Amino acid sequence: MCRTSQSHVMTRLRFNEISRYFFAILVSLWRRVQIGRTGTRTTAIHCTGCTNSDMLSRLVFVSASALKSSGPLGAGLVQASRCLHTSPQTLAPVPPLPEEGGKTRHGIIPEEIFQFLYPKTGVTGPYMLGTGLLLYMLSKEIYVINHETFAAACIGIVIIYGTKKFGPSVAAFADKLNEDKVAKAQEVKDLATRSLTEAIQEEEKEQWRVEGRGALFDAKRNNVQMLLETNHRERLHMVTNEVKKRLDYQISLQNLHRRMQQEHLVDWVEKSVIKSITPQQEKESIAKCITDLKLLAKTTQAKATA
Amino acid sequence: MAGRRAALKAIDWMAFAERVPPNQKAVFNGLKTRSDAIAARLRSLPEKPAVIDWTFYKGAVANVAMVEEFEGKFKALQIPEPVDTETSKIAAQEQEANKHAIAYVEGSKARITQYEKELEKFRSMIPFDEMTVGELNETFPETKLDKEKHPYWPHKPISEL
Repeated sequence: MCRTSQSHVMTRLRFNEISRYFFAILVSLWRRVQIGRTGTRTTAIHCTGCTNSDMLSRLVFVSASALKSSGPLGAGLVQASRCLHTSPQTLAPVPPLPEEGGKTRHGIIPEEIFQFLYPKTGVTGPYMLGTGLLLYMLSKEIYVINHETFAAACIGIVIIYGTKKFGPSVAAFADKLNEDKVAKAQEVKDLATRSLTEAIQEEEKEQWRVEGRGALFDAKRNNVQMLLETNHRERLHMVTNEVKKRLDYQISLQNLHRRMQQEHLVDWVEKSVIKSITPQQEKESIAKCITDLKLLAKTTQAKATA
Repeated sequence: MAGRRAALKAIDWMAFAERVPPNQKAVFNGLKTRSDAIAARLRSLPEKPAVIDWTFYKGAVANVAMVEEFEGKFKALQIPEPVDTETSKIAAQEQEANKHAIAYVEGSKARITQYEKELEKFRSMIPFDEMTVGELNETFPETKLDKEKHPYWPHKPISEL
């Protein structure tokens, strides 16, 4: 995820041409070793951001012709032919970092050397070159064998064994640390986008709700109209009913009068008739009733026996 | 005597109910019950009052003069329509509400543009895999380590690690 920070010390050192050549080789080889052994990019958890000149030095492999544009340059050497990203404000988007480090053979030697020498020397070229260089340095005693050599060999064996055994797991652990960070950041981003979209939807929903405010006032106006209408009708009805009640009252009053008059007359007639029956008339009527009854009894008896 | 008032506007209570926010549902229910009660009362009253058969009464009641007096007064009687005092208030309320609504919608739109801007920032971010620490600090300024306040690594108090 992050780029390795270049040691700024290197930019200030001054060497002559050949020393610079070897030094550049060593520098890039050392970085290849780091990358090749762990099998993944080095992950310094906290690093400072790098400028583009650092980035260039990562991607360029060693060759005599490529030296001019790579490696640590002295402060005084400015390549007029190549315009590098020297100004701090460059608009070109920075290309993403490669996932894997440069390919190496036997863990140390960059693959590009083999590819570079293949057209001229075939497959065995670099091996011959390596053997030759080694023998040259040994025989001419440019490299002297002393006890340091043995120490270096032992340490080298231990280091190689260690990285081969524990390299992948350490790399996985370091990668996991980074993955967690990225996942956390991604989660934050997802949460933020989700909440923002939801907020936008809520706002639009509220706007839609607001549009319905007219119905409330329509309802109120309707209520008012209905109340007025009800009131009016009630009054009309009341008036009619009252008038009708009064007229009906008059009629029923008249009827009552008529009835009372009739009953009173009938009673009076009855009373007067009863009063007018004198005692003499009463005796005569009773005697007549008795004779009539006797006659009736005789006729019924006669009928019964016959 | 009916029909001189403005006709009642049909209200779609279902649509109205959908637009009511949840915190005002109780108020809405109250309004609906009241409206329904008023409408029921109105429906229960017949539109025209019963007609009085004057000829019958003239024949039935002895005091014809009284009946005729009643008839004359009744026919001359005009029940005035009730004065409408509330509609203007309602119109005023509606204006107020419209003003508030417009202001709210404006505010809401401003909020939406702001959200859109922030959303744009998130959408146009480069993926985290391809970011450098510098770019991360630009996008999320709170991740920038304060080197002046804490000059030594890890540039933040230990409690915040």
